[in-house]
Amino acid sequence: MTAVPVKRTLLQRWRGAWRRWSLWTALVLLVVSMLATMVWLAGRYEASQVQTRLERDTADAVSDIRTALTHNVQSLQALPSDNPSQLAWEVDASELLRNRRELVRIELRDANLRMRTHVQSPYRPVAWDMRLRDSGQSDLTIACANARRLGGPAYSSSYFQPHGDGLGSEMMELCVPLSASGRTIGYLVATYALQDILANLVGHNLTRSQEASFTEADGTRLAVLGAARRGSRMFSAQHLLDLPGGTLVLRMDSWHSAPSLFPNVLTALVTAMSIALVTVMVVLVRDNRRRLRAERDLADALAFRKAMEDSLVTGLRARDLEGRITYVNPAFCEMVGFSPQELLGLSMSAPYWPPERVEEYQQRQAIRFAGTMPPREGFESEFMRKDGTRFPVLIIEAPLINAQGQHTGWMSAFLDISEQRRVEELSRASQERLQATARLATVGEMASLLSHELNQPLAAISSYANGSINLLEHATPVTASAPESDALEDVRMAMRQIARQAERAGRVIKSVHDFVRRRDQAREAVHAQQLLDAILPLVSLQARKLGVRVNTSVEQGLAPALCDRTMVEQVLLNLARNAMQAMDDPSVRTRVLDIRVRRAASNPHNGWIEFAVTDVGTGIPPEVAERLFTPFFTTRPEGMGLGLSMCRTVIEQHGGFLGFAPNEPRGTVFTFTLPVNNGTTP
Amino acid sequence: MEPITNATVYIVDDDASVREALAWLLRSRRLPSESFDSAEAFDAMLQKRPPQRQPCCLLLDVRMPGMSGLALFDVLAARGDLSTMPVIFLTGHADVPTAVDTVKRGAFDFCEKPFSDNALVDRIEQALAQSAERLAQVRERSDLQVRLSELTERERDVMDLVVAGLPNKLIADQLDISVRTVEVHRSRVFDKMQVKSAVELANLLRTGH
Repeated sequence: MTAVPVKRTLLQRWRGAWRRWSLWTALVLLVVSMLATMVWLAGRYEASQVQTRLERDTADAVSDIRTALTHNVQSLQALPSDNPSQLAWEVDASELLRNRRELVRIELRDANLRMRTHVQSPYRPVAWDMRLRDSGQSDLTIACANARRLGGPAYSSSYFQPHGDGLGSEMMELCVPLSASGRTIGYLVATYALQDILANLVGHNLTRSQEASFTEADGTRLAVLGAARRGSRMFSAQHLLDLPGGTLVLRMDSWHSAPSLFPNVLTALVTAMSIALVTVMVVLVRDNRRRLRAERDLADALAFRKAMEDSLVTGLRARDLEGRITYVNPAFCEMVGFSPQELLGLSMSAPYWPPERVEEYQQRQAIRFAGTMPPREGFESEFMRKDGTRFPVLIIEAPLINAQGQHTGWMSAFLDISEQRRVEELSRASQERLQATARLATVGEMASLLSHELNQPLAAISSYANGSINLLEHATPVTASAPESDALEDVRMAMRQIARQAERAGRVIKSVHDFVRRRDQAREAVHAQQLLDAILPLVSLQARKLGVRVNTSVEQGLAPALCDRTMVEQVLLNLARNAMQAMDDPSVRTRVLDIRVRRAASNPHNGWIEFAVTDVGTGIPPEVAERLFTPFFTTRPEGMGLGLSMCRTVIEQHGGFLGFAPNEPRGTVFTFTLPVNNGTTP
Repeated sequence: MEPITNATVYIVDDDASVREALAWLLRSRRLPSESFDSAEAFDAMLQKRPPQRQPCCLLLDVRMPGMSGLALFDVLAARGDLSTMPVIFLTGHADVPTAVDTVKRGAFDFCEKPFSDNALVDRIEQALAQSAERLAQVRERSDLQVRLSELTERERDVMDLVVAGLPNKLIADQLDISVRTVEVHRSRVFDKMQVKSAVELANLLRTGH
């Protein structure tokens, strides 16, 4: 069971690492390959440069050779060959040979190629085999045949001439026909050593790392100048040297040191780094911009959170796992009266704990840190302010979990519920007061009803007794006998007693009634709004339960009413409750209780204020309406049937009028009036 | 006190036993009464059969279903029926401030139930006496009007001058008639006004107006 998640996390880690590193690997590979390409390209460029230079040198050398050869042809033609004195020719030819080291020998032959004279180069002694030379198949013969055919100088192909000392060298013949008045009178044959052509005509331009050679078409070397190093870095260029009658190939080889890697890498690096730098700068700028934006967002969010924290009326406190306070918000500080500096870092006993309850709180804290989850809806406790006053708080605690999912402490929210407590207390007190007066009013109404109901028969008894006495007085006969007279006297006495006892009963009732009604005189000037404000909390309590909307309106500029405040409150409360109960029926969809107070018809002496309590309930059926104010008549099983009766008594005691009428389109409206306090009545 | 003849006591109370007891008590003092069970019934009777020229008074219960005693009192006061019909309120319970207020507004008195001895009946008799007195005044005033209306124009002129205290001679001069004619008119005025002397005539006119 546990291995699977581990494996999975390992796999996930690998995958994550691959995802993270693959990009970087690709980037590095790309950079390396780019560097290699750049180095290779740089090397190739360098090689092509070398090759081009070599080609150019070869072309220059061929051109030099051709110029020199042409120059030599002219010099040979300038020799005085027509002069019969051969000596002058020989002198000039020797002179030429001395100047021109590439020339080995100059012969002067007649038109039939017979040797007339010759001179030999002083620098290169060659043992000539004249027989071979004069044979019809020799190169000389072929060259002269070519010259005769061309009518101009012609060259032979090269051939190997042994020197007699075991060595030899490649030679080439030049045959220049001599003509006089359009007829060939002889030939000048000059012999070139290829080695010397290279040495004298190319040599001065040759660098140390270059090698010049004449080769045949198949690549066989004929003559070589210079000695290039052998190796891998060889460059080679060939150029054809076209001569009339023969063709030579000039080949130049050059060795070039391997293009140095280091400068190329440096260049590549600098280039790559420049690119990277620019890229990094762009990335940096963008990153910076994003960072700035993120910072701004963060600052905004922070400011928002700070404002939120500061505006909270809920106190916040964070503690770490050792119980040290790590954070408090301003609301908390304000609540307990300590500054954050006084609170932060405190652990076991906080200064806002009432001293006598420290132990209890420490136990609670210990339980909390043992890992018990606090109740979600919070719990109530008592704290102490800096000045020592106590106040009740509602504490809601939750574990602090950091971004890594670790439990690092506890966060607590505090609500000062002293105001709530006070309101509850006040509301309870007012409810108790109203209930007490309600009881008192009920007792009063009972007394009032009893006195009324008993006074009526007592009045009748008293009337009958007094009437009887009157009759007995008139009826006393003068002639009556003594016993009769005595009997009549007894009856009269009894009648008087009856009347007296009835009177006494009346007095008792009156005294009880007066005792209960002692507060009748407590009349004061009260604004209608004050009366409504006193009963609305209780009314809305019931209204919420029954789903009734309560509307109240008091006419502007209404004078205060002169009334017994608590009794009138009872009347209003009774009427409002009756109205709401009248609407507690499934058929009543929209339940609205409307209490309006306005100025009623008044004259200059007596002003009246009219209260109207309207419901949209089921209305009052006629048979109920008839008996509505009858004491002990009720439509409710739990009712005493005294409410409306009492209301009427109270209002009539104020001189007002209580009545009801059907409301349009449905329901009932109860109205009653109260006198305005015009200042003259106490 | 002399019993007042022809007097009627109206009783308005919703409680039948109280009504009957009161009627019985009044009968024991030879006072005739009429009972009504509600303010509306009494008002209807009054509309149908206005009180004759005889003393009467009204015993009115304050609290009744329907129209209350106070409301009826206001209606009667507005109609002017109260001048010859004093009202005594009967209060079953402590409506005393209300009752005092009604007395200020012109009720004759108020009595708390139960009533002691014959105090109520005594007050009723006083009320009837007041009623009779008021009625006599009214009757007298209407008699005077009748007598005055019987005088001729000339007789009225003569009467005015006689009351002003002028002797016959001056009256004759002023009215441009003979003294003899003045004397004839004067004796006719005395006959018609049912007086014997000029002083008596002056008194009658002063109280009547």
